[in-house]
Amino acid sequence: MTVSSRFDTTNGRIFGLRTDLIEQFADTVRRDLKAKIGVVIVTLFILAAVFAPELAPYDPMAQDFAPLQAPALSTEAPLGTDSFGRDLLSRLMFGARVSLGVGLGAVLFGSILGVLIGLVSGFYGGWVDDFLMRSVDVMWAFPWLLIAIMLVAIFGQGVWNVVVAVGFAYIDDFARITRGEVLSIREEEYMLAAESVGLSDAEVIFEEVLPNTVAPIIVQFTVLVARAMLAEATLSFLGLGVKPSTPTWGSLLGQGRDFITQAWWISIIPGLLIMITVLGINLFGDALRDAFDVREVDTE
Amino acid sequence: MGLKQYLLKRLLHSVFVMFFVVTVVFAAVRSIPGDPARLMLGGDVDTETLQALRTELGLNQPLYIQYLRWLRRLLSGDLGESIRTGEPVLGSLVQVAGPTVSIAALGMVIALVVAIPTGILSSVRRYEVEDYLSTAVAFFGISMPAFWIGIVLILLIGVNVEAIPTFGYTPLGEGVWPWFKSILLPAFAVGFPYGGILMRMMRSSMLEVLNEDYMRTARAKGLSSNLVLFKHGLQNALIPVVTLAGIFLAVVLGGVVAVEIVFGIRGLGRLLIGSINRRDFPVIQGTVLVIAFVFVLANIVIDLLYTMINPRIKYGGGE
Repeated sequence: MTVSSRFDTTNGRIFGLRTDLIEQFADTVRRDLKAKIGVVIVTLFILAAVFAPELAPYDPMAQDFAPLQAPALSTEAPLGTDSFGRDLLSRLMFGARVSLGVGLGAVLFGSILGVLIGLVSGFYGGWVDDFLMRSVDVMWAFPWLLIAIMLVAIFGQGVWNVVVAVGFAYIDDFARITRGEVLSIREEEYMLAAESVGLSDAEVIFEEVLPNTVAPIIVQFTVLVARAMLAEATLSFLGLGVKPSTPTWGSLLGQGRDFITQAWWISIIPGLLIMITVLGINLFGDALRDAFDVREVDTE
Repeated sequence: MGLKQYLLKRLLHSVFVMFFVVTVVFAAVRSIPGDPARLMLGGDVDTETLQALRTELGLNQPLYIQYLRWLRRLLSGDLGESIRTGEPVLGSLVQVAGPTVSIAALGMVIALVVAIPTGILSSVRRYEVEDYLSTAVAFFGISMPAFWIGIVLILLIGVNVEAIPTFGYTPLGEGVWPWFKSILLPAFAVGFPYGGILMRMMRSSMLEVLNEDYMRTARAKGLSSNLVLFKHGLQNALIPVVTLAGIFLAVVLGGVVAVEIVFGIRGLGRLLIGSINRRDFPVIQGTVLVIAFVFVLANIVIDLLYTMINPRIKYGGGE
């Protein structure tokens, strides 16, 4: 992609994303098998999560069956049951809702704060930039596991702890990416034009700068949703995530831990689903990266 | 700015960060609902005992005095005692450091040794079988939680290969080979996702470098392509990987803690989860502090590495 097309503002936009980028993504999907696989997996996952109440055969909380039934197509619970006799398939479908919600929520939290910091930092420069970026630096000392531990110690288990703990770690990714983008477009002609016609700082930032930083932010967003789902699984497995009664893929896996040798399916099936879904999101993100021509690593 | 000044500045910054960490942890523990003295003593206690303990712990004093006293104790290396067992927190941490550090270190070594060469190979043989194969393996690595890899390993290898234990940890003091066997599977589980990330970074970083003008010039000048790769390319390609490798230490930490639980190893994971379940705040607080401290130290080490391999570094931190 050339610089001139990248900053061409004559293109239409859908949700702030230029339509030509969407066309490029469609092109990538048509061309690339990996991208197709990613799109299919992500679509299936979202459908299963959204329509879980309609699609799930049983109530995920009801102890309808004999406990620890092995998966078999002939039985009423095709993916088996957990130690309380609950249908694993239904729990997995409802678990997909929480896992997706937590993954999206965490990255939303991190991206909103990070993008705001990056925009302000890059736009104003000077001591504002210094102060904000140094503050972001400090977050490095708090890996998500530590934040989760402190939140659980203070508030007890809960979905929001996971969202905040995992999302917090991503603020700095988004801040850096956004800041870099802002710095690179600050000197563009249309920016000078926007300032000379007397738009306010907020108008320039949100109407001119933000839309032009959208592509790399979307790529990062996708990749981090995948990573957030893995982090959620780890926290739920450790008992630092959602309450054990709430099904998420991580907590289901955690409950299977005590039955690894008797009932392998309770931990293997949710784990496989996590793997397939995260793989799908990663492939999807890679396709976006290709389509939007965003670099994976910064060599500066 | 010279190298010395730059390092001094980084060091000061780290001290500031550590001070900030200590303050946040103090504030966090203070905001835990409930009276620590009551928590320590449990349910039914008379007011006198409670008051005595409150005085002993300094809970009756103003918050800033408590904070300053806490800082002074920390500076002398005193992390306090567990309210359940009475053992010093630092002692418990030293005990669990053996297995946790062993697993994390071996995991990172496995990841580095496999991922760096594979990433280079993948970039040199872009769009060939080697590239597709290693990229596929890396994609699987970054798509699985480490602890689940551990569970799968136990089911696949532990059950079939008796020589490799799947439970517990053997200290290095009891022989190198038993130690190595006991941490091999957990380390692999921790290293696989980390290696996947590293391999992907190495590949794209190397691809960027291979496309740089000076690499093309070097090739045009007739340098054999292997020599070009290793003399010019690798050093430059490693620069972003080193910085990012540090950021992904959080992946290793989360991995180790959960993997230890899967393999029934008494390490940092068990200490942390146990202290949270028992609401043993001094232990939680001390462990969080030490981990944060290790992360700050790692940051300094990565900075040093970065300055060593990047000859073009601008110490001012400017753009």
